[in-house]
Amino acid sequence: MKKIITLEVNGDLHEVAVAVHQTLLEVLRDKLGLTGTKRGCAVGTCGVCTVIIDGKAMLACLLLAVECQGRSITTIEGISSADELHPVQQAFVDQGAIQCGFCTPGIVMTSKALLDKTPRPDDEQIREALAGTFCRCTGHIKIMEAVKTASQYERAEKKSD
Amino acid sequence: MTKRPGRFSVIGTRRPRLDGPLKVTGRSQFTDDIVLPGMLHGKIVRSPIARGRILNIDTARAERLPGVKAVLTHRDAGDFMAGPDLFLLKQEQVNFFGDEVAAVAAIDEDTAAEAAELITVEYEPLPPVLSVQQALTADAPLIHTYQDSNQADEIRMDFGDADKAFREAEHVRTDTFTVHPNHSCYSEHHVVLADYSLPDKLTIWTPIQSSLFIQMNMAFKFGLPVSSIRIMNLNTGGAFCGRGGEKPHHYIAALLSRKAGKPVKIQCTAAEEFLVYRGGGTHTFTLKTGVMQDGTLKAVDTDLLLDCGAYMDTQFIVLRFIGFSQQMLYKLDASRFRGQLVYTNNPPYVFHHGTGMVALRFALGSQLDLIACDLDIDPVELRVKNAVDKNYTTPSKIHYASCGLKECIKKAASKSGWKKKYKKLPPLQGIGIGCGVIRSGGKGMMDHDTSAAVINVGEDGKATLFTGLPDMGQGSHTAMAMIAAETLGILPEDIRVIAGDTDVAPFDMGAIAQRGTFTTGNAVKQASLDARRQIAKAAAAQLGVKPTQLVFNNRSVYAREAPDRTIPFEDAAYSTLHSIEGRYVTGKGFYNPPTQAVDTQTMQGNPALAYSFGAQVAEVEVDPETGIVKLLKMTVAHDVGRAINPLAVEGQLDGQVFSGMGQALFEECIMQDGQTLNPTFLDYRLPRTFEIPEMKHIIVESIDPYGPFGAKEVGQGPIQCTTQAIANAVSNAIGYPLTELPITPERVLAALRQSGEIAILKD
Amino acid sequence: MRLLRFEHFKPSSLEEALTAMQESAGNVRVLAGGTDLLVNMKCGLEQPGLIVSIGSLPELNTIAEDPSGDLRIGAGMNLSELAENSLLAAKAPALRDAIKSIASQHIRNMATLGGNVCLDTRCWYYNQSKLWRASRPACYKTGGDQCHATRGSERCHAINSADTAPALIALGAQVVVQKKGSQRQIPAEDFYRDHGARHTVLEPDELLSGLVIPCGNETGKTHFLKISRRQGIDFALGSIAAHLAGNGSTCHSARLVIGSLGSAPIVLEKTAQVLVEAGLSQESIQAAAEAARSELGVLTTLFSSAGYKRDLAQVLVKRVLHSFIKKPTTQKRTRR
Repeated sequence: MKKIITLEVNGDLHEVAVAVHQTLLEVLRDKLGLTGTKRGCAVGTCGVCTVIIDGKAMLACLLLAVECQGRSITTIEGISSADELHPVQQAFVDQGAIQCGFCTPGIVMTSKALLDKTPRPDDEQIREALAGTFCRCTGHIKIMEAVKTASQYERAEKKSD
Repeated sequence: MTKRPGRFSVIGTRRPRLDGPLKVTGRSQFTDDIVLPGMLHGKIVRSPIARGRILNIDTARAERLPGVKAVLTHRDAGDFMAGPDLFLLKQEQVNFFGDEVAAVAAIDEDTAAEAAELITVEYEPLPPVLSVQQALTADAPLIHTYQDSNQADEIRMDFGDADKAFREAEHVRTDTFTVHPNHSCYSEHHVVLADYSLPDKLTIWTPIQSSLFIQMNMAFKFGLPVSSIRIMNLNTGGAFCGRGGEKPHHYIAALLSRKAGKPVKIQCTAAEEFLVYRGGGTHTFTLKTGVMQDGTLKAVDTDLLLDCGAYMDTQFIVLRFIGFSQQMLYKLDASRFRGQLVYTNNPPYVFHHGTGMVALRFALGSQLDLIACDLDIDPVELRVKNAVDKNYTTPSKIHYASCGLKECIKKAASKSGWKKKYKKLPPLQGIGIGCGVIRSGGKGMMDHDTSAAVINVGEDGKATLFTGLPDMGQGSHTAMAMIAAETLGILPEDIRVIAGDTDVAPFDMGAIAQRGTFTTGNAVKQASLDARRQIAKAAAAQLGVKPTQLVFNNRSVYAREAPDRTIPFEDAAYSTLHSIEGRYVTGKGFYNPPTQAVDTQTMQGNPALAYSFGAQVAEVEVDPETGIVKLLKMTVAHDVGRAINPLAVEGQLDGQVFSGMGQALFEECIMQDGQTLNPTFLDYRLPRTFEIPEMKHIIVESIDPYGPFGAKEVGQGPIQCTTQAIANAVSNAIGYPLTELPITPERVLAALRQSGEIAILKD
Repeated sequence: MRLLRFEHFKPSSLEEALTAMQESAGNVRVLAGGTDLLVNMKCGLEQPGLIVSIGSLPELNTIAEDPSGDLRIGAGMNLSELAENSLLAAKAPALRDAIKSIASQHIRNMATLGGNVCLDTRCWYYNQSKLWRASRPACYKTGGDQCHATRGSERCHAINSADTAPALIALGAQVVVQKKGSQRQIPAEDFYRDHGARHTVLEPDELLSGLVIPCGNETGKTHFLKISRRQGIDFALGSIAAHLAGNGSTCHSARLVIGSLGSAPIVLEKTAQVLVEAGLSQESIQAAAEAARSELGVLTTLFSSAGYKRDLAQVLVKRVLHSFIKKPTTQKRTRR
């Protein structure tokens, strides 16, 4: 069973024919070529495929693409400009919060969703937001530092605006 | 601008990874991101039983399914061997749950999955052999019938006069320790894309630690020249020692591709991930240690039983590593080791983070604390007293040209406040120490341990560094760029690192055995010096000095004696390249440590030039009612020789503590009938953000005489210390030794009951 | 892991949804958050021909106080939104705490209250891939006639890990169940069946539409507690909710409900009786904890040994009762 749907991804409207059993993850990667969102466990346990939908961090592997019509989807490709990394991305680079980088897009998106809602998160809130993600390499320590750094970057950016 | 002696411009500075912006924007390509025109999707049909005879394989229905382009069984693969004892696709017998039997390639993943289910395989189940103990009994069925027992390998190592040392010892202890199987849990699951559309060229995209090994093995197995095999290792989503070589899915993808004449991708699912590839099998150590009353260690005698699983992969190497490791950390008169590797119908085990030596370190380190208790000596003092030093030679003739072990122990103890805490903490809080040693590369896998490097400098003063060293996340490409930048007097961001494609990469053994920084680092330094010499000619002429008088620093070139007159590096490079006679700037370098592999008869010798050391202190709190252990703080000291990039060193320390705490407290493949009962990230329960302890990093720099700028490994050294530190801290907290890893809540409660000190629910 | 083919219907009203369910009864599943159902489907545990998508139905996305003061919550309410809902925090903080303890923020951002209430039971032999399960004969829960977790058992012992279940039962909540043309309201306690293979009373054409939490006439306080191996993204080793009403140390009524130790939440009636008779004190807490241990009955060894489960139940009772004595601290999940 196929349907033609319109997906709003990173502000762009894409008209795509999808099978109803296809997940958002499959459509993003295979149909829209947005491979920045990685395929991890595909059963909701690793957070690798995190995207932001209507302001919330969600798992693209557990969403049917047909259910995402009319919702605003942001992927890792949609948060930096042509000239500049997003402050969260910059903080991850600066703090050494990246190793193999496979989980990084999902964790960056999770962190962005947290900071959009809670600009000055405390340790407990950072742990809570990131508990659904999984980074085997860094041990999460520098990731948590990067989230705090990103919070400072964003505040500095707002001040200078 | 004067360069102060002994100071570096780049080495030792905190540098974000050069590929950070690519990774953080999702632009870094991993194998699953590659889509080739006409690409098919492969799916492997696996054994649903631990041991059994194959009666029939029927592929007719799968072959008729529209969209299926190739079906593969033993009828195609024949006696293709994927390992010394491993038929790629089984014809007669399957030996573990997940064993490869057949495969399909189809136009999309759904069709491939459907076709795989349409292949029916009839089995006659046979009773499986599920433990090492069972496998060694006289009436146990033979897993490989050409063998006369299930013993896959046995190794004995006898260094020094153990009998004499034990006779002299005033106190001897024997204890048994068990480490249960665990899993690597890479973020990026196993995946391969093989393009063997044409019979004379095979290209493989896959996450891997060493392109060389897979390239050589593929060439050998397919009867192709090495130059016909191209390995593309773009990015590797974690490796942790487990991705050293190729696995059956690599060969299967290649054969499917050959048969279909199209590229084939096989992406393992989360469910397959725990089948394909796992960590170490069950390790059972019986450890006997002799010691003098004053705490001087005399000898260690170890008996190790190691589960090999159904097929031999890398575990025979683990056996040897463990045998050597037991006499590398503390001074001993003698060391005796007997290790047996035993086939079972459990899944084939491979290298896992820490390469088995972590298991040994847990056993030895735990027993050392028991000895400290017997002799009433502080565990830290006992370790300092026996710790190896610079210029020490072990009973097996391993030699240390640099050694920061004592400094690591002392600093970890003092920074953690050991003296104020040990035996002074409130009940159920504990503190424990663990130490480790590991080599930085060296001989053994082959007769050499070579890395080569090539660096091109362009007219804009930017350089391109070619290396065959993969970066699986450890940050080695940035470290190599830093070594090259320091040598050429430019900045890391002036260097583009080209790696991951064997068609362009120089020869390199790869990122194995903690050799990257030390071995490839030395090669990169040599190549950079070569390039520098080529530029120095023109610059020296221009400045009217000898090339040897030149200093290259901060993107400029000047004479040591006349630092005021500088030439921009870019200009020096330009005038070299655009000289009338015509030149190039291409530096070449290679490094092969001048050591020899250990003697195969005596097992003696010094295979590596550099060894690194570490010590860690763990602090824990135990909930006596639930048995749950909370890791509060880790104080982590590691002798890295010299920190090329302290930011990356800290990252390596963090990651290994994380993995070590997983092995210590959380991670276990719970096995039943040859199957893992908890094969998901949910039920396998790795620690996550809430479980992360406070971390204190201590970087010890012993400046190795052979390392590039004095640097040694930080690859798998730190994790050697973590599990024993945590286990000792838990034992310290509850006053009873923990002899099994992982330390699960139920094991803690059992230990508490044994200790009799704390009754459940006593307020 | 991929989904197999199915039909997808997105009704515009609850009525339409119920009609679709009635017409396809037996071959239909409702999809709300999808965090449980889609995982089960990817594992081949369920293969409905039709998916009825109810996540955005307005009728199911409400939370309000009714005239009697009771709290009515639509089953489609998102867990993250409920975790931050001020009305819920004021009226039923124990349910809020239970919700906050579920899985991870990612999952809560997608999942619904109804989904958690109906959460499928879990088992080492059930929640596996198709390939994994092919190694063994089918179990009660997959259409066979045996239980791999408790060999020789006459029923399925899969464990109910719904964190909201003990809280709802302790709060005396009612579950609203609808089907085409009819509606029934049942106590949360009676919604669950002590049978892992069919763990709720929902019929194939029925849908859980909402919950009613009696807040109007109820006095007393409720506390929820979850102990898990990992603090985030984990099922409970054991959980408990307790509701006590009384003055000072006297206790008029008590309800204690343990979760994640069996196929249904376990209501500890004898333990509650201990508290009603003895009031709330250090001594009675100890007595209650011991009573709980013996009241548990036969426990499965699934996920943890029966002995450990018993120990844990005792700890849960003790700790949750202590939270009635202690000054209420800010509600956080227990730090280890």
